[in-house]
Amino acid sequence: MNVLDVLDKNLVKVPLMHTDKNGVISELVEVIAKAKGYSTQQFDEVLDAVMERESLCSTGIGNGIAIPHAKSDAVEHVSLVVGISRLPVDFDSPDGQKSRIFFLVLAPKSEASAHVELLASIARSCTSGIFRRMLEQAKDSEEVVHLFME
Amino acid sequence: MGVPFKRIVVYLDGSESSMSAIMYGINLAKEHDAKLTAVYVVNTRALSELVKAGIFVAVERDEYQRDLQQDADRYLKHASHLAQQKQVEVETVKLEGTVHVVMKELLKTQKADLLILGGVTDIRSRREELASETDRMMRTSPCPVLVVRDDDDIWLEFEA
Repeated sequence: MNVLDVLDKNLVKVPLMHTDKNGVISELVEVIAKAKGYSTQQFDEVLDAVMERESLCSTGIGNGIAIPHAKSDAVEHVSLVVGISRLPVDFDSPDGQKSRIFFLVLAPKSEASAHVELLASIARSCTSGIFRRMLEQAKDSEEVVHLFME
Repeated sequence: MGVPFKRIVVYLDGSESSMSAIMYGINLAKEHDAKLTAVYVVNTRALSELVKAGIFVAVERDEYQRDLQQDADRYLKHASHLAQQKQVEVETVKLEGTVHVVMKELLKTQKADLLILGGVTDIRSRREELASETDRMMRTSPCPVLVVRDDDDIWLEFEA
């Protein structure tokens, strides 16, 4: 399992509209809820799971990236939402840098292996500073998908 | 190396194509009267990478490690069940570590003469090419490798 296995331009939002941490997380969950036709209950379950994980420790990992994630049986399979913000968002990252690139990763409890592999794949993809800058500057969802395909 | 194959190892990762691989392996083992081993590797390297990258906190890593162990048990149990359906004996092995490294070691110690893999997909990006554990296993395996395509025919043949 890697980013390209689950990357879907309908699950990519450029630019994100919110400029605060909770707003961005909610907006990312809205993207998948809209694309997959989630009920209000599913939306709430997913959002609660992501927020609960976030309460353990921020998922801002530095270098302008945040990877909010959670296990939730409200989702059928491992899913990825990518969001790019024009404005840097304070995500309490350890390096103090604000985030502009966001990956929301969701998985049912029964797909732990795929969940871990996808998170590791994202971490590997974003080790390149040039790649991160290109993602930050992506004009739309198609360009984000194209960058991962290169 | 023996022909016909005498010691077949199938790598499972929980994907649909690795399920095709075990079905193919069971049929092949039956045909060749070979010893069959199904292996699942709990990818602790990926967990360590996630902690190092700051994506996982320690408590989360421990929780996911337990989840991965449960995944492994579930898929190995399923492999046993499939083998039982065909009256084929299968040894199930659960390992931990870096997938291609521990697999290489196991293939050597088992003196395997065939490794069966599923889940080899087209390379879609340069980054992916460098990261695929299945690719690495193919490149580092000390014995011949058979790649099973995720083919409905395998499932149909198995269930026939």
